[in-house]
Amino acid sequence: MSAQAPSADLFRSERMRRRRIVNAIVEGGATIAALLAVGVLVIVVGSVVKRGWGAIDVDFFTKTPALYTGFGPRPESGIENAIIGTLIIIGLALLMALPVAVLTAIYLNELAPRKLANVLTLAFDVLNGIPAIVLGIFVFVFVVVGHGQAAWKASFALAILMVPMIARSTQEVLALVPASMREASLALGAAKWRTTLSVVLPQAVGGIVTGATLATARAAGETAPLLFTSALYSDAVGYDPRQPLASIPMFIFTSAEQADPVLHQQAWGAAAVLIGIILVASLIARWFADRSVRRLKGER
Amino acid sequence: MKAFVTRRKRPLAVLSVLGLVAVASVAASVSGAQARSNAGELKGAGSSFVAPLVGVWQQKYEASKGVKISYNPIGSGGGISAITNKTVDFGASDAPLSADQFNACNGCVQIPWALSATSVMYNLNGVKNNLHLTGPIIADIYLGKITNWNNARIKAVNPGVSLPDKDITPVYRSDSSGTSYNFTSYLNTVSRQWKSGIGNGTTVNWPKGVGARGSSGVSGVVSRTEGAIGYVDVAYALQNHLKFAAVQNRSKQWARPGLLGIKAASLADRKFSPTNALSIVNPPPGKKFRKAYPICTYTYVILRLQSNQASLLKPFVTWALTSGQADGPRLKFQPIPKYVRTKGLAAIKRVHS
Amino acid sequence: MAVASRTSSGPGALQRRGRIRPGDAVLYLVTLAAALSGVVLLALITREVIADAWPAMQKFGLGFLTTQAWGDNNKTLFGAKSFIFGTAVTSLGALLLATPISLAIALFLTELAPRWIRSVVAPLVELLAAIPSVVLGLWGILVLGPFITGTLGPALHGTFGWLPIFSSKPSVGSNMFAAILILTIMIIPIVSSICRELFLGVPSELKDGALALGATRWEVVRGVVFPYARAGIAAALILGLGRAVGEAIAVTQVIGNNVAIHADLFKPGDTLASRIAGQYQGADTALQVASLVYLAVILLVFSLIANLAAQLIVRRVAGRHQMR
Repeated sequence: MSAQAPSADLFRSERMRRRRIVNAIVEGGATIAALLAVGVLVIVVGSVVKRGWGAIDVDFFTKTPALYTGFGPRPESGIENAIIGTLIIIGLALLMALPVAVLTAIYLNELAPRKLANVLTLAFDVLNGIPAIVLGIFVFVFVVVGHGQAAWKASFALAILMVPMIARSTQEVLALVPASMREASLALGAAKWRTTLSVVLPQAVGGIVTGATLATARAAGETAPLLFTSALYSDAVGYDPRQPLASIPMFIFTSAEQADPVLHQQAWGAAAVLIGIILVASLIARWFADRSVRRLKGER
Repeated sequence: MKAFVTRRKRPLAVLSVLGLVAVASVAASVSGAQARSNAGELKGAGSSFVAPLVGVWQQKYEASKGVKISYNPIGSGGGISAITNKTVDFGASDAPLSADQFNACNGCVQIPWALSATSVMYNLNGVKNNLHLTGPIIADIYLGKITNWNNARIKAVNPGVSLPDKDITPVYRSDSSGTSYNFTSYLNTVSRQWKSGIGNGTTVNWPKGVGARGSSGVSGVVSRTEGAIGYVDVAYALQNHLKFAAVQNRSKQWARPGLLGIKAASLADRKFSPTNALSIVNPPPGKKFRKAYPICTYTYVILRLQSNQASLLKPFVTWALTSGQADGPRLKFQPIPKYVRTKGLAAIKRVHS
Repeated sequence: MAVASRTSSGPGALQRRGRIRPGDAVLYLVTLAAALSGVVLLALITREVIADAWPAMQKFGLGFLTTQAWGDNNKTLFGAKSFIFGTAVTSLGALLLATPISLAIALFLTELAPRWIRSVVAPLVELLAAIPSVVLGLWGILVLGPFITGTLGPALHGTFGWLPIFSSKPSVGSNMFAAILILTIMIIPIVSSICRELFLGVPSELKDGALALGATRWEVVRGVVFPYARAGIAAALILGLGRAVGEAIAVTQVIGNNVAIHADLFKPGDTLASRIAGQYQGADTALQVASLVYLAVILLVFSLIANLAAQLIVRRVAGRHQMR
């Protein structure tokens, strides 16, 4: 094709090629980055499963850690005390956090004047960002010093961690409830509290469950608050929240640094159990999140 | 309105299940708590140095007397602070209470209840066990002045041993440790630079190397790291099949952290401090100290003079001081001498509920 | 198109018809008490932590921040300099590595990937955030550490040994470099998920306009998406930094717990959070305890400022974008 302005064409296509190359490089880089992230996840979870699989058997869940003095046959050992301790600690934390978080969300979303709501929400968001180790120190000086460690004090620290997460999730789903529903209820003569509890809140249950399961998943893996509040636990299975109880994160933390390879394998096994719990919780949360958002958006 | 409620049943159901689980676990705790408070249980924490022996004691004592003992090896410093804060029934520490700590504990008594050695262990493939090391060499390794295993000074005391060209990684205790106190007290006696620059204590400013938590942590790092050197209760070195050095004592002998070496070292101090402490680090030269291993230490149990667990504590500590000593030798804990036992038994009498 | 929004009724709603229904009053008071708990907790935490650090704050003053010591002079001298240095190096190092990777992932998930890939990769990246720090620490000790001493460290030292940060060959798996890698893995999901939300919020007419003018996809990102999301990206980075600074458990497992200060990343070090986690249980003198809580005060101050800054940026950005 005869060119009207050949030099101009060549110049333009040269630049165009360079731009396309840069674009391809960036797109390639972005893909590599995503693959890197997925790759790291696969490596870490893969290590956990591969190295921990051998430790997981019925004994793992039904026996407690047995001390091996180095002589004689190794006694059977498991993490029953840690699993039960984690369930109790997290259960208590949820019990403490859920009411506070839901009531907070109701206030901030339904009842508060806008300015105050903004300030209080900001406070919760800042609270969310406080490192868990600082929370651990706070609970230590606030309730542990002079009184001893206890599982419920660990739950208290974890509840502080969970409240902002559950509150935010509840707030988000409360905001999705259409104003028309509230107005209709009020127009029928229902009191504000009746409207909130019977009309608005049931719609938000999905979001509450999402927030609660996500917060539970996060709290189940936190170790720092446990260091200060529930570290002096016994090897036997305990049920008393007034005593320090074993927990899976503390078990992993103490076993990881030992020299004994059998303890390492148990640590990997415990990590696999922990990741399993978190995975299940995340899936439940995700399922509920999708459902409730879809439902609320579709209700319009 | 009714239609809304029925359709929302499922998330509500999950929420109520979550709530029920939470409530059920609490209920189980409370009811379990009632049953549990009747069983005799003692709670202790502290020194990881003595943890292997306490572990054996736990099993034997529960088997014979039915009393459950739980012990958390969080380090001597942790034991001291736990008994001071009354979060445990007994604390264990290899570092004797200082005057300030004694006052802070406010009504505590300290009793030496076991006796063993701090081994200097190392990880070097192809090098034999019982490498010869002198005190000044060890101090200079931890000061960072000797950095490679094929250093001339190490070679000089190990004729015929082929030492590899490998960096030395000193490993120390990052937590508050009685074993650190023992080791640094020893280094104080063999290195003026150590004594003036760093000193001894449960926590010191280690110039070089890597820190690990607990005796098992130090064993862990050394076992994983080629070229590492660490100090730990000899029971850990044996348990984890780690090599440890023969350290030169003041009688110029290459002493090993075995029962004979510990026994000889224990002769170095018969005079109790006001708080029942004894110091047997780096015994002087002499015929009876020929085999003495220079880094030995007593380890102490710390009790509150007034304790509502006194009825369980006193029999246990008495048992530990007497029958329990027989479990020591297998783990390289030399049974305590008679005069130490007598002192301890007298001290226990002061504990009341 | 009804817009879902926070209901606009306030306290005025309670006083309809001039009387307050008791049920409404109860609800108001109970929920107000719950909502105030956030502020109350913040104040309480600040007060308690400062109160317990007070003996050390009084004794050392601000000089604590510039003293490199820990337990010197028979446990009478403590200083935070090594840990502030360690925290800065590890967190900023992690941020440096995580920023391009997180932005790239966010771009991948919003601009590049077809929908089905997006629905697989996005949850996987979020799952990375869900891995507990103690598990990452376990992996760091037993898998990453040997990898660094065996393969990665010698390779980096061999190629880049002239740089002060790689000037020695790592002899032990516990070092600052391991901590930086672990923190990077922790920051990436946080920053990338926030950035993903931001990029999704860029109005498509702006992007379409640029494309119509003949821009390549990268040029759209560089010219439209990044400038639009600039403030939000800053907030995301601050939040990621805050996470890295506050991480105690995984870092204390892999960093080596040493007080010395050097540029060499293959040497052990320590951070504020990690030192607290490592020593708190065994602190056996009052001054040591107070010094550790002083470290916590430094952490608290930093995290309050960083979080506040990030949140205010996010709010300003949200406000500005809503007004458009």
